[in-house]
Amino acid sequence: MASRLAIISTAVFLMLFQHSATGHHSFAVEFTAEETAIIEGVVAEVWFKNPHVRYYIDVTNGDGEIDRWDTRGSSPSLLVRRGWTKETISVGDTVIIKGHLGRDDKKLLSIIGIELADGTKLGAHY
Amino acid sequence: MLRIKITGCCIGVVLAFSPCLAVHAQNSLQGEWMVELSGDGPSIIGMLSLQESENGWLGHIEGGPVMVETESGAIEILVDSRDLAGFVFNRRLTGHYDDASMSGSFTIEGATEDPEPGGAWTAIRKAPTVPRQPPAPVDMGGMWTPAPGIDFRKYSMDLTESAKEWHAGYVMHYDQPNVRCVSAGIVAMVAWGAYPFEIVTSKDRLTYLYEVDSEVRRVFLNEKRPPDYYPPSPMGFSNGYWDGSNLVVDTQLLEGNVRDFRGEPVSEGARMHERYSLSEDGSTLSAVIKLIDPANYNVEPIRRRQWVRNPATEIYPYECDPDSFYRQMYEQGKMDMYFERADRREMN
Repeated sequence: MASRLAIISTAVFLMLFQHSATGHHSFAVEFTAEETAIIEGVVAEVWFKNPHVRYYIDVTNGDGEIDRWDTRGSSPSLLVRRGWTKETISVGDTVIIKGHLGRDDKKLLSIIGIELADGTKLGAHY
Repeated sequence: MLRIKITGCCIGVVLAFSPCLAVHAQNSLQGEWMVELSGDGPSIIGMLSLQESENGWLGHIEGGPVMVETESGAIEILVDSRDLAGFVFNRRLTGHYDDASMSGSFTIEGATEDPEPGGAWTAIRKAPTVPRQPPAPVDMGGMWTPAPGIDFRKYSMDLTESAKEWHAGYVMHYDQPNVRCVSAGIVAMVAWGAYPFEIVTSKDRLTYLYEVDSEVRRVFLNEKRPPDYYPPSPMGFSNGYWDGSNLVVDTQLLEGNVRDFRGEPVSEGARMHERYSLSEDGSTLSAVIKLIDPANYNVEPIRRRQWVRNPATEIYPYECDPDSFYRQMYEQGKMDMYFERADRREMN
């Protein structure tokens, strides 16, 4: 899946989930505009509530250990208008997530786009 | 597996300008101008004010300080702004001016979530204020969804010394009220809200039903005054009147809160002045929003918003659970720090 991911363009991802942060507090404090990252892992926890949706993702690092990433999206009421509900992503699902990296080397992503194991891509303009 | 990519250039350092400097000061520029940027998308509009000083031009756009330089009919203006995610960038306007107009091109400096391409700009003298017109109400009732564009999203404002002092210790992701599910109040909601709202019309009253924070706001059109001991609150107390077909709303009795992403303060004595207008076809609602808060701002901040009529949408439930906010601090060992910052939550 990683090799397939490599050919997914940044542009496509940007179209998927732009403005994920719109509407609440400033993501610029916790995230960088300059640095993005792509992680692949297994959903460990789903938090589908305001003020922001969160998915906790277990990612295997280069040493074979599991790192838990905190990934954050828009608010539920904005997502559900696009058909993205609490059931769309479940614990145990394998996902690929692109996002803005958190500051201070935290394992933190502001979600730009998500690709599910079946190739479904999630995200939209708001 | 993790890959990291540096996607953009580093942002300019210019985050908060002091009102500044010019090579030449020329009286012909002094006054208020309406600036319009035309790029890839809706035009962006803002009011530029220029005042001559000993050190050159004091410039403000939408109430926030900007750097202005002029020389031999050429002008350059640097405006700090933020995108919808709060990332800060600069718009650099260069061009020429005469007594009645300015024009030129602008470029973007800094990384943003949704990059702008730059484009052309023009400015003309701000038209004199028109005397109040006889009431000619229009139907603003219905569902309204935020529309993109028109606002500069000016970043830095011209804070008073006491406001600067208070704001210097502000940490957004701990101090912003809505991260812990507390309403950021009507000033912030009107200025940045990404959510729909509904206006319900009835005799002598408009009722705004906001999706965000499930807030309700009543705008009294009959000069009703607040009851005795009516407490300051995030939504305040609003009176409105018709100036021709424009709805003018004045809000008082606001409690201390924040104005925007940046956490600049709103004092308990502040007022908010909104002027709503409806497009001829009734499809677009526009507002110019001014915050009048001399305790915190030397120049009044201005925002401009538009919404499109959207009868197909509904106001969705908005329940908020602060668990994730406190959990993050707990996991980072910052709970003590948070509770020691109680002064950040007392903004009167």
